[in-house]
Amino acid sequence: MFRVRYVLQVLLAAAALIAAVALVRDRGVPGEVQAGALARAALVRLGYEPLGEPTATFEGDQELAWALERARPGPAGVGLARGGGGALRWRVVFPGGGEAQITVDGVVWSLRRPVPSAPGPDLFPSLARAQVEAAVARAVPDPSAWQLVRAQSWREGGHIWQRGWFMGGAGDLPSGWRRELELEMVGSTVVSWRRTVHPLGTDLGVVTGRMGELRLLSRPALLGLGILVIGVFVAAAEAVAYRESTAIARGLAYGLVTATAGSFASDTLVAAPIQGVVVAVVVALLPVWTDLPRPRLRFGPVAGVALAAVALAGRAFILGAGGWTPVTPPVPGDVGPIRLLADSWAPALAEEPLLRGALPALAAPVVGWWGAALLAAPVGVLLHPLPTVPLAASLALELVLQVGLAVVARYAGVGGAVLARGTCEALVRRGSFPVGPDWDRVALLGVLLGTVLLLWPPRRE
Amino acid sequence: MAAKTRVSLLLGGGVSVALAAVALWVPVEPPVPPAWQPPAQAAERTERDLPALGLLWGKVRGWSRVGPGWTVLWQPIHGMWLVSAWVPDDPGPIRWRIDAAPWLPGVRLSRDAAEALAGRSAAVAQPRERLGRRDWQVGETRLLGALPAGGEIPAAAPLRRPLLQAVLVGLLLAGAVSRHLVPGVPSPGWRRAAVGVVLLLRATLPELPALAPMTFQPGVRPWVAELAFGTAAVLLLGALMFAAQRFPATVGSPPVGWLPVALAAGTVAGRLEPAAWLVGAAGLELRLPVLVGVAVLLGWLAGLAGNGLRELLRFSAFARVVGLSLLAVAGVALGGAWTGVTLAVVAAAAVERGWGTWMGAGGVWGWVFGNVWALARWESALWTALAFLLLGCAVVAIAFLVRMREGVAEATPSVP
Repeated sequence: MFRVRYVLQVLLAAAALIAAVALVRDRGVPGEVQAGALARAALVRLGYEPLGEPTATFEGDQELAWALERARPGPAGVGLARGGGGALRWRVVFPGGGEAQITVDGVVWSLRRPVPSAPGPDLFPSLARAQVEAAVARAVPDPSAWQLVRAQSWREGGHIWQRGWFMGGAGDLPSGWRRELELEMVGSTVVSWRRTVHPLGTDLGVVTGRMGELRLLSRPALLGLGILVIGVFVAAAEAVAYRESTAIARGLAYGLVTATAGSFASDTLVAAPIQGVVVAVVVALLPVWTDLPRPRLRFGPVAGVALAAVALAGRAFILGAGGWTPVTPPVPGDVGPIRLLADSWAPALAEEPLLRGALPALAAPVVGWWGAALLAAPVGVLLHPLPTVPLAASLALELVLQVGLAVVARYAGVGGAVLARGTCEALVRRGSFPVGPDWDRVALLGVLLGTVLLLWPPRRE
Repeated sequence: MAAKTRVSLLLGGGVSVALAAVALWVPVEPPVPPAWQPPAQAAERTERDLPALGLLWGKVRGWSRVGPGWTVLWQPIHGMWLVSAWVPDDPGPIRWRIDAAPWLPGVRLSRDAAEALAGRSAAVAQPRERLGRRDWQVGETRLLGALPAGGEIPAAAPLRRPLLQAVLVGLLLAGAVSRHLVPGVPSPGWRRAAVGVVLLLRATLPELPALAPMTFQPGVRPWVAELAFGTAAVLLLGALMFAAQRFPATVGSPPVGWLPVALAAGTVAGRLEPAAWLVGAAGLELRLPVLVGVAVLLGWLAGLAGNGLRELLRFSAFARVVGLSLLAVAGVALGGAWTGVTLAVVAAAAVERGWGTWMGAGGVWGWVFGNVWALARWESALWTALAFLLLGCAVVAIAFLVRMREGVAEATPSVP
């Protein structure tokens, strides 16, 4: 029996690892390598040979990407967000001068080369307009669609500068959208251009409106957590007064880890040190709450893989059923492995001890463990949902995940829930970061930990 | 009934009548001008008198009392804009404003509204279409169509008294801890009352978002705003109900002799320093259950905080006198709209433990009554205030009689 159980654990670890690798494989933002080459070629076409290896930084316009997806449902919208809509871009900077923005699908979105020492003969205003109009062909593939609407010239540094503003209609973009281009010349050399997109108000409004609504809906959840924190501090005062056994060292260590993770994360519920203090108190009190299920950490990451699969499948289901949910993952404020790690694990470390530990411990005497766990679900639902149409679809999907985490907490304890949530978040958020094996490894850390725990030779009971 | 009891009842009744007379007839002038019309009437006047703004107003979503007038809020079901108007009680001009979602390029105002905003000159307003804007040219004046449009609306003064609020919150925490560390016999009546009023308030929940107009935002559909408010209210009420079970009030008969003092002090505090949000509650259709629910829950909380204060000052009789006096003086001098609540906490801490929640509730009950009576001067609100006061007196009388009958039954030997 003992050996059979171990074999089952090995099989479970292998299945979780395979599923997790399948979930992260080929996910992420592409085009980093190509962006450098495209930027170099574009600069060469302007007569400038950039020096050195460029650095590429990912940047994106969240609302614009989602508005494009909403306005043009399906793969066409995703393609626009990555290409002609210019919502997701790589900023490529050459060490010797020269900078470009290349969309992830390879469209040169903006370009700036250093001002040449000999930029060619100055264009006097009477001749400049035609030259500026002709220069637009260097920036866009469909120059005939663009019209010069305004031009400006001035003298600076011994040369005449020209700046032209072009409007290109909707082009490939949805009806009612507008493309604009700003182009600069020094003497008779084009030195920079930049494209912009103006969305239709209602298309953008559906997305920003939903995001605003979700921000408003997250306030009651924060209130719920605030009430819970008051209960935790009252319980802590009682524990001190009754001299109950608490895990102070463990709490301090956990609080320190949480505060550190929070300080690297892009978004936290409250300031990272406050989060650290609160969860430190909760973890220190866990031995007092003897009704909580015993932790079985090894099953947490496996459950996290299953939850991540459910989350990704749920989004595909919403799209398939005629609703809308963003395909482009949320754009992180800063891109780096530490950010992926912190964004994935900070919510797990801060929220799970409260929702799956403190709330069931405090409310179980009145409503029972399951009642308390189900009370935590709506609070968790409102904390981080994505904008969808209809809005209820997003809330329903989050509710499924929260109920799943409650089940994990019942079976694997608070620690298991933390590992499950962190693993799930890492796998789901993987899509927001660049493609590449290094990023995959960071996203798979939780699963690897789970595998080690499952394969660890168990003690005979 | 024993003669001694009858005498004490008569004496208590006399003192009550005297205190009630003092509380009701002492001439006090509240710092906030009273409202002479309900918010619904102010909304009707606005819809009648304001020029059509060229866009759909939607339903009245909320209101708040600001100075000598009501600020009323409308929002259509798609939520793209908010129309708010400040309506003075006197026949003065109504101030209005439109706030739209930031992604809207601009809403065309009606010609009437444009001319009204531009100052009603002799010139006729001419529409001007511009990129992302819809302007009006009125004579020499150009009215930009970019929103927000309209004028500034007066804002209510903040109710914040951070130090006093921090002290009250600290006392609540101390009360919660002390009820666990120094447990008494829990009162089933107060537990049932807390559950009852929470259910009552949940039943009135569809009406309550009107009291929180800041919940409604341009670009957010009103049903989502109401859902957010409802969720927050359910969480808060659930937490209070849970707290009432976990930190229950101690059992004790109603202190009939002391309750009129608390009631009178609360009434005077409410009349002297009223809280404007309670006048908003008086504008609801279901105002009586809302006022009752608020008074019971606040009273229970005052009892909890009073319990904490009593336990904190327990170490010496001198500290008790000084502490209670200091908090009472601070409440009256610096409390503003929090005066009534602070006095209720002091009253709850000043009496013996079983009476604390009764005294807190009595003080808050009087404070709520005093508030409504001082500020809500239209007829239906005044009748509701009277009904509220009588309801409180009736509950106390019934509780006292029940308690006395139980005492008599215990004293009477049972027939074998």
